[in-house]
Amino acid sequence: MLKISNLQASIEDKDILNGINLEVKAGEVHAIMGPNGSGKSTLASVLAGREDYEVTEGSIEYLGNDITELAPEERAREGIFLAFQYPVEIPGVSTTNFLKTALNQVREHRGEKALDAVSFLKLMKEKMKLVEIDQALLSRSLNEGFSGGEKKRNEIFQMAMLEPKLAILDETDSGLDIDALRIVANGVNTLKSSDNATIVVTHYQRLLDYIVPDFVHVLYKGRIVKSGDKSLALELEEKGYDWIKEEVDGQLV
Amino acid sequence: MEETLTAIDGLKAAHETLQLSAQNNELKEIRAAAFDKFMALGGFPDRRAEEYKYSPFKTLIEQNVDFLGGVPTGNSTLEKKWEFEGSRVVLINGQFDAASSAILDDIHLEVKNLPTIPEEHDPLALLNTAFFREEVLITYSGKEKANVAIHHLLDLNGSSVIAQPRISYKVTSGTLNVAENYEINGDGSLFFNSSQIGHVSANAALNITKVQSFSDDHLVAENSNIFQERDSRFYINTYSFSGKLVRNNLYIAQEEEHCESHMLGLYLLDGKSHVDNHTAVDHKHPNSYSNELYKGIVDDKSKAVFNGKIFVREGAQKTNAFQSNNNISLSDSATVNTKPQLEIWADDVKCSHGCTVGQLDEEAIFYLRARGLDLVSAKAMLLVAFAEDTLQNVPFKEVKATLEKMIEERLLS
Repeated sequence: MLKISNLQASIEDKDILNGINLEVKAGEVHAIMGPNGSGKSTLASVLAGREDYEVTEGSIEYLGNDITELAPEERAREGIFLAFQYPVEIPGVSTTNFLKTALNQVREHRGEKALDAVSFLKLMKEKMKLVEIDQALLSRSLNEGFSGGEKKRNEIFQMAMLEPKLAILDETDSGLDIDALRIVANGVNTLKSSDNATIVVTHYQRLLDYIVPDFVHVLYKGRIVKSGDKSLALELEEKGYDWIKEEVDGQLV
Repeated sequence: MEETLTAIDGLKAAHETLQLSAQNNELKEIRAAAFDKFMALGGFPDRRAEEYKYSPFKTLIEQNVDFLGGVPTGNSTLEKKWEFEGSRVVLINGQFDAASSAILDDIHLEVKNLPTIPEEHDPLALLNTAFFREEVLITYSGKEKANVAIHHLLDLNGSSVIAQPRISYKVTSGTLNVAENYEINGDGSLFFNSSQIGHVSANAALNITKVQSFSDDHLVAENSNIFQERDSRFYINTYSFSGKLVRNNLYIAQEEEHCESHMLGLYLLDGKSHVDNHTAVDHKHPNSYSNELYKGIVDDKSKAVFNGKIFVREGAQKTNAFQSNNNISLSDSATVNTKPQLEIWADDVKCSHGCTVGQLDEEAIFYLRARGLDLVSAKAMLLVAFAEDTLQNVPFKEVKATLEKMIEERLLS
């Protein structure tokens, strides 16, 4: 589904990603872990098409096509979804309102016809249950005055509505208490199928107790320095990141 | 220099001609006094006039307006922009047109031969009085509410039109809702210089909505003077879409206690449009309230000016006065000059003001695009949301819908 080859990216002439190679197949869950500043969120942003970053080398292939030059909305319409680490507050725009426009633009791209108000509401009600989100919240200004948990639940709700093929969860666990974490993870797990894939970007192992990864990759200094199965995450939880830093920095010297 | 002399000479000659045809001495005197004061203030304001330093009319008027052209009588074909239940008042090139108007029983309309004169200090307001022909006085004394649509039909037909309508509202009880529509037929130059006076009696309410859809080569000044008695409410909603120079002078005097004044405004400017809102609320007595929110989106080489004065006179304790002016600039060449001006002589008051000029939030744009919205829709959605809260006091849903459509069309273009 996704094939990242030698991906290098920079922001304002500062290199952040220094050659990422990663392959994600349908039905898989990949966890990207790593210490602060290792480039995890940058990778998530670059995959979603954030234009602040410049891809200087390498390519991102998605469903057989090179998407490196695609605009964020084109990627979204092709089925890539980024759940933001810090969902943006937008005064005056309600989730319901903007999501209807977004969903219909996505559907139009897929050659499906636009949903009318009734069908949209029906779909919304069905997906709301998944993350236990209240309709009143969705009629309010997007994320404005939402608690951390509400913001993240709203992200997963939107994901459920848009039904992406590739979901990228950027630090979705940050700012969540244990109950919210369970609700969010449950939502993600329910949406998982053999046709879609998930990339979970996280600093801590705890989210991976709920969303169990098939592969765990450790990012450090803009490279994947170690890959393994879920036991690698447990090892990191126990030992921290220092041993990896030492290992890598040792090699570099 | 020669041009200046010609324009002022033309204005003087036009005034003399008008005066010669007048029968009523009182009217002659009122016009003469206003004209003298206008001249004493220096005639058309230029950059040296403090209140007009960002919006000098002088040169633009000299170059574009022909005072000796007279007021052509226009055609009364009106494309009704909105229909709501209420009276329809049509003014063609500034003069009341009884034939195309439809006045319901709930209001009283009178065309007066003498003006209601508030104390005028503004040169353009004085010019309106100096060239006074008639005043449309609309009175409402009912218990509930009445609606009035004012249609300013401006029929240019390739000529140079000067329209100086004068309307006054008297609300002795209940609520009078007014929506003003400006409809321009044909090409030609336009100098529209209106005067509007509102008297809101105790416990009554007046709500005025202006949808100023002028074109890029029109010169416009609207002078509004509002007087409020105790426990009255006044609402004004001003929407400006373009104009060579549009100046809104708004003065609200709270003459007694417990008055409420609500001022909302929005300007969406592109090209070389220039819109200037000068507002003043005069809190003269205790326990009153004012709330002002003007927002603007400026693009291309357009220019927006906002000046908001709040006076809290000595003894006007427990005044609550709020003001904000927020702008989004979509272009490096657009200009915004914004100035809050608070003058407070009482010590137990709550006043706040704030002005901002910024760009669209890039992070918000990325967020919406990452969910599948194209760039144009994402920007338009954010701008519509920004503008939306300036519509909240418009009492007519038809007008509100028209405005929403106009805003959306403009922002999606």
